[in-house]
Amino acid sequence: MPTREEWAVVLFTLRVAALGTAMILPFGVAAAALLARRHGPGRTLLDTLFSLPLVLPPTAVGVVLLDAFARVSPLGRVLAAAGIQIAFDWKGVVIATSVMSFPLLVRSALTAFEEVDPRLVGLARTLGCGPMQAFFRVTLPLAWRGVLAGTVLAFARALGEFGATVMLAGNIPGRTQTLALAIFHEAQLGHDDRARVLAGVTAVLAFAALWSAEIVGRARARRTA
Amino acid sequence: MPDTGFAMSWTRRLFAAAALGMAFSASASAADVTVFAAASLADALSAIGKGFESTSGHHVVFNFGASSDLARQVRAGAPADVFFSADQAQMDVVTQAGLVRGADRVDVLSNTLVVVVPAKTPRRLQAASEIASFDRLALADPQAVPAGVYAKKYLESIGLWSRLADRIVPTLNVRGALAAVESENVPAAIVYRTDAAISSRVSVAFEVPRAAGPAIVYVMAPLARASAAARLFAAELTSTRAARVYEKYGFIVLARK
Amino acid sequence: MIRLDFETPLARFPLRIEADLRAPVTAVMGPSGAGKTSLLDAIAGLRSVASGRIAIDDDVLVDTAAGRRLPPQHRRVGYVPQDAGLFSHLTVRENVLFGARGASNEVGHAIDVLEIGSLGARYPASLSGGEKQRVALARALATRPRLLLLDEPLAALDVSLRDRIVPYLLRVRDEWATPMLYVTHNVGEALALAGEVLLLESGRVEAQGAPLALLATPGLSREARAGIENLLAGEIESHDTEGGVTRVRLAGGLVVSVSIAAERPVGSAVTVAIRAEDVLVATEPVRGLSARNVYEAVVRGIERGPGDAAVRCAIRPELPEWLARLTPAAVADLGLATGSRVWLAVKSHSVRVASAPPPRAGRGADVETGRP
Repeated sequence: MPTREEWAVVLFTLRVAALGTAMILPFGVAAAALLARRHGPGRTLLDTLFSLPLVLPPTAVGVVLLDAFARVSPLGRVLAAAGIQIAFDWKGVVIATSVMSFPLLVRSALTAFEEVDPRLVGLARTLGCGPMQAFFRVTLPLAWRGVLAGTVLAFARALGEFGATVMLAGNIPGRTQTLALAIFHEAQLGHDDRARVLAGVTAVLAFAALWSAEIVGRARARRTA
Repeated sequence: MPDTGFAMSWTRRLFAAAALGMAFSASASAADVTVFAAASLADALSAIGKGFESTSGHHVVFNFGASSDLARQVRAGAPADVFFSADQAQMDVVTQAGLVRGADRVDVLSNTLVVVVPAKTPRRLQAASEIASFDRLALADPQAVPAGVYAKKYLESIGLWSRLADRIVPTLNVRGALAAVESENVPAAIVYRTDAAISSRVSVAFEVPRAAGPAIVYVMAPLARASAAARLFAAELTSTRAARVYEKYGFIVLARK
Repeated sequence: MIRLDFETPLARFPLRIEADLRAPVTAVMGPSGAGKTSLLDAIAGLRSVASGRIAIDDDVLVDTAAGRRLPPQHRRVGYVPQDAGLFSHLTVRENVLFGARGASNEVGHAIDVLEIGSLGARYPASLSGGEKQRVALARALATRPRLLLLDEPLAALDVSLRDRIVPYLLRVRDEWATPMLYVTHNVGEALALAGEVLLLESGRVEAQGAPLALLATPGLSREARAGIENLLAGEIESHDTEGGVTRVRLAGGLVVSVSIAAERPVGSAVTVAIRAEDVLVATEPVRGLSARNVYEAVVRGIERGPGDAAVRCAIRPELPEWLARLTPAAVADLGLATGSRVWLAVKSHSVRVASAPPPRAGRGADVETGRP
């Protein structure tokens, strides 16, 4: 059974994953909306860009993030001046997990948007809607289940993020140590039993998250059938 | 007896095969020596290794990292021939697992600790207590990695640990702490003097006097199952030739007992 | 008036339309893939126009020369698609009000005329096909469009349902002054609703004119001719349920036997349709044939097309000519020529009873039969 500190790690992991997912939700939906029903080289470029964190090694993404947010970088300087710490800080965890789970949200939302009958969107246009209005009044309401499934998937991914997180936020117990990082740390210290306990907790959480995503997704399939 | 020509070509083939086989075994006698060593030894050992390769013909493969991490790997069965740890504790781990014979252990080097800051913003601390002025301090993981364990011991000895404990940024190994300061992501770190020496992007803010700091001992041993070539390299690591290299990089060479 | 003069590429050929539409309802007809839906999409703004001009009265929707392309939401064109296209996440009421600027007299009027008031709180999934189409109509009307586009609105419904919806369309035509462009394959619908027919073929206007006249025109291309039917106005005379036959008395006293259509009351006005290819031509009196309808006629003319021939026959001088579609080989074998005496035979199964002809008066027409 997890110790008190270990439960704290679980809670921390859930919180940063939730915060990160909430943060990327509007951006993911916007990105998917941008991509939907667009064809040609522009779309391919954007699609590839958004999908990169999915196929790049997480550590590679971590290196890029570390460079982007380093104190010496333009972005880093602005943040430092505002007193905001990203590297080796919980905010770094949120950013790393968000970047890694972003593609999952975008892909799920994109599929959901493209499943909406384009003629319905066209009808909305003839009924007086501009493109944005048609998106919010027709496309999004009809696609919400797919977006939700994508959100849960992104959350599940955020829970297990390691490579980018350890590079950007470091493995600071009590500060930036998520479940995945804690497992690594315990194994490093030779505490294999603790590592197994934490791995077990992670498995349970991931299972629950994926299960929910499946259920929501299936409800969507039934509806559109 | 069949046609002579045919028999002769058969003999020739057998001979060629034998020669080839001997050639292979000749190169097989040039062995691979796998060395697991503390991260802080990277530069010195790489230099020593190169010299050894050119004279002996053996090939040296290094795995540099946190001694604690390496000890764990060796215990789990990693194919190391020589283990060079930055503290006794990690060598004890490997010895207790029966992978190293106590008699083979040699205390080779010592080192001192320094506080470093980014080279762009140099600073000199007037007293050790000023270490508490940093809002974050990078250390190799003080829970296990020797460099971090030594640093924590030192901070405890001067009564600063409790204050600094939650400002510590633990890194995978001592070079990670160095990198954190090099990139200016963390304002300061405690690393070995030898690490600070090889980096132009950090400057030393404070040197922990050898007497004031913890006793740092680098222990080396060939593993019990090590090959002859490996033992050869282990001996090289304690040679006078190697001592010159260590000193060049700023290590303190311990007198042989 | 709707002025169309534009061109835009489609998958297999360009859509090139040049027509002025003046009738309150114009039926757009033609074989599948001729570009009918694309025409509607271009007018609605759902398909871009490569070059040309589209205008409704004084409002120019598209004028590529002037760089004007009004986006769909500003065109005030109502669209009723084949499957109603209702928004499944909204109730009927929310669907109807979707484009309307709030509830208004106009909206209430549409709901009344289309009789969907009781459906307000229901969701589209629970509606029947006919109800969905009426809601789609009301939704389009609620935006007070200046043009209504209907894309085979009744195609997805079964025949009896279609005949029940046509009266609503008639009401819409008569109660609103909105011109309608009505895509259909169904001759009956075209006859019932349209004042003019636009016949499309491979993206071009093949013909434009009054429905009855157009459908009998011999000069049409083969594909256009494929659907030619002989259309005759008449009145139900009697039903013989056991015999499975309904008798229709045509103008001029001619009686046609059709398959039993007992749901139509005796005396109701109907149009019967006989496809030109279902008319058999004999050069001798016909005996022992199963066909119920045999008429003596005189050949007035033979139109020959590639691999095809249409024989125009007069049965009675006061009736329109009948068109019989034969192969040139048959014409040659029978030695048919203008003036030949022939007997025409049609099975009662080949005679289709189409919907009632359009009522003369505006309001107060009996929506079932169309009689004032």
